[in-house]
Amino acid sequence: MFGWKGTILRVNLTEGSIKKESLDLKDAHMYIGGRGLGVKILTDEVDPGIEPLSPENKLIFMTGPLTGTMAASPGRYEVVAKAPLTGTIGGANSGGHFGPELKFAGYDGIIFEGRAEKPVYLWINDDHVELRSAEHLWGKNTFETTDQLLKETAEDARVACIGPAGEKLVLFATVMNDKHRAAGRSGMGAVMGSKNLKAVVVRGTKSVDVADPEAFYKACVDARRKLKEHPVTGTGLPMYGTEILINILNQVGALPTRNWRDGGYFEYAEEISGEALREKYLVRNKGCFGCSIGCGRVTRVPEGKYKSFGEGPEYEAGWALGASCGVRDLAAICKANFICNELGLDPITMGATIACTMEMYEKGIISKEEIGMEAPFGNADAIVELTRMTGLREGFGDKLAEGSYRLASSYGHPELSMSVKKQEMPAYDARGIQGMGLEYATSNRGGCHVRGYMTSPEILGIPVKLDPLVTKDKAKWLKTFQDLTAVVDSAGICLFTTFAIGLPEISAMLKAAIGLDYSDEEVMKIGERIWNLERMFNLGAGFTKADDTLPPRLLNEPLKTGAGKGKVVELDVMLKEYYEVRGWNEDGIPTDAKLEELGIR
Amino acid sequence: MKVKLFAYLRDYAGGREVEVSRCETVRQLLGELCGRFGERFEKELFDKENLSGRVIVLVNGRNILDLKGLDTELKEDDEVSLFPVVAGGR
Amino acid sequence: MASGKPDGQTVMNKVLLLSPEKCIGCRTCEIVCSFSKIRAFNPRISRVSVFSFEEMAISVPMMCMQCEEPYCMKVCPTSAITRTEEGVVAFDEKKCIGCKLCISACPLGNISFSHVEGKIAKCDLCGGEPKCAEFCPSGAIEFKEPVPSAIERKKAIAEKFKELFGEGNE
Repeated sequence: MFGWKGTILRVNLTEGSIKKESLDLKDAHMYIGGRGLGVKILTDEVDPGIEPLSPENKLIFMTGPLTGTMAASPGRYEVVAKAPLTGTIGGANSGGHFGPELKFAGYDGIIFEGRAEKPVYLWINDDHVELRSAEHLWGKNTFETTDQLLKETAEDARVACIGPAGEKLVLFATVMNDKHRAAGRSGMGAVMGSKNLKAVVVRGTKSVDVADPEAFYKACVDARRKLKEHPVTGTGLPMYGTEILINILNQVGALPTRNWRDGGYFEYAEEISGEALREKYLVRNKGCFGCSIGCGRVTRVPEGKYKSFGEGPEYEAGWALGASCGVRDLAAICKANFICNELGLDPITMGATIACTMEMYEKGIISKEEIGMEAPFGNADAIVELTRMTGLREGFGDKLAEGSYRLASSYGHPELSMSVKKQEMPAYDARGIQGMGLEYATSNRGGCHVRGYMTSPEILGIPVKLDPLVTKDKAKWLKTFQDLTAVVDSAGICLFTTFAIGLPEISAMLKAAIGLDYSDEEVMKIGERIWNLERMFNLGAGFTKADDTLPPRLLNEPLKTGAGKGKVVELDVMLKEYYEVRGWNEDGIPTDAKLEELGIR
Repeated sequence: MKVKLFAYLRDYAGGREVEVSRCETVRQLLGELCGRFGERFEKELFDKENLSGRVIVLVNGRNILDLKGLDTELKEDDEVSLFPVVAGGR
Repeated sequence: MASGKPDGQTVMNKVLLLSPEKCIGCRTCEIVCSFSKIRAFNPRISRVSVFSFEEMAISVPMMCMQCEEPYCMKVCPTSAITRTEEGVVAFDEKKCIGCKLCISACPLGNISFSHVEGKIAKCDLCGGEPKCAEFCPSGAIEFKEPVPSAIERKKAIAEKFKELFGEGNE
């Protein structure tokens, strides 16, 4: 088999059984792998109406055909399940070395079913696969867990695990692999915790073959050259990491500040910027498997009360714990971010939920006594302590663990949650970047930027410059971005490659790897198919057009400063156009004709 | 006028901000900066006559590509920001 | 140091130079090395391996350093390992009996047995165009002419590796 390994593991945790199943090639051809194939399996096997944290949910780890090859940035895998934070289809993509190792062990993916009676972990050593007790690991953080598991399995194995946050069903718990890389959003770690599955450990010694080695090599050399030559993937990201975006978003007036209350300009942005991170705390940069970009940051806060060592923060994490909470202390932001990695929390939702708390505190909706501390905007100690408390569901952390929507609603103020479909929006104020507003409103896993990164054309001018303040053409562009991203997430390569390469390069690698002669149009069609299938899952779960919306603040409160002064998100206009370009009816439901065209029905 | 520089463009200027005498257009302003910071800086900014794809120029937070490009006119109190093209994450 | 080439050009013998401080731990070298040897992807048969020391935040690519006095060559009972004029410690598959003494003899642990190919696996500098150096994104592996300072550096780094792994084994 080429690209794929041809085998999927099915692990029933209730029964303790492990089966090796052949990859369904027809599905693989239609959905590629990773996110697409994971979503296909979930929709085939799980009723969208189920409770996400029940044994009926399934947790799927899936690599793509390019994972573990020499394709551009080929270190990715996807975790798919129905999401506890949103109730939508869930999914999160991660890099590092875990995904490739799973391929080297001989598997395209793993389907976890049911729920183990007691904590377990899965140990995969090539053909040998077994469930082992994880009772001695329960309660340990992701670093301790990883170290311990490498000791008791093999030192050259790779670990994906949950921390205390996943065990305690924090709704935005992550799955962490290789200690620092996260399948971060929508709460996949909580699903893992609900199954009493502490970790997956894998070691593989087999090869990944491609159908046409010479053509594949040529395609990879071409893609890698373009990555090296592009200013973003060749210079910007290696030099500064993603945190470099802080200043530019701030200068265009789209850095959401203090729970999006104070518009898109944070007066202390410079202090939490990528430039500051590089100058003060960067030790070196780090790459995921086979990646030429190396955007990862190894960082150390050498002294003071936030003394710490770890990786990150990424831009969105730095924003969420920084500008969003009005915090200007970069050391505290680093520390809180490291705690997120150790306890297994999504730092975007974490920071945004603390920001929501801070606004409610300042409005007098929540008292100091309830929180256990003073929590005005700007309190650096609070982000560190509240993050820790959330990961352990300690004190007020137990409420934060539900995310900002449930928290704010419990106080009668859902409008103060800056979320879409109950998932917090990240670091781009859509009032100043209209296309991002449409992306937030329509993303299949709720408030999310990475499934249609309109910031690329609207702010960075890649691949073409679009004016961020107008709505024209945004729907059309967003569809293209969403569909292409679905392909990228399914192929097993990193989304960041798409700053430098596009459909032709990605298709070329994919075709040579799996030996199928797709046209570029057919590859895009796969992306569209995945997007529509995710939409169908959400409709089945009870979502409607009414959920394709934004917090009232973005629709009604104009930006007060900056280039977008006076702007709100003009969602109605864009959404109508979006449904049309998607071939959906006016209620946002894919038409029968569209579903037939895509081979979904 | 005030020009703010970011990321590695600061290395050319030796700081975060430079003061430039009043310029009529962005073209004139960038020309002035190139004169000051030399050939390598010019290569970052320009491909021959045109703005290179490696920089983002903002005037009061608006990308000049959404305005009149290099011909965008400037007023005394305008704030100009200069970025290398850099990118974001997750 | 210079060697005459048939075309009359005089070229220096290049060596693989490692700069661990630049290594980002991505293992691109491993994946391209395996491809150049078996036309498939498998880091475990790669002639180069990246070791990461997390607490020191450092990663080190390791491969055969083409020693001036190769222990592997000395220990080989069938003279399957020789050192060429170009400075490559070469391995002759046909003479090899698979005794694996060379694996034990290498003080740096840079010879292994490839379970996929069923033979001894060591870096052969890809016949003069090492793929690891070609694809290394950060410049941690370079293929360069050995100016005296570079040779000193290479030796110093090799010494450090010995120390590192010496400690690691205790």
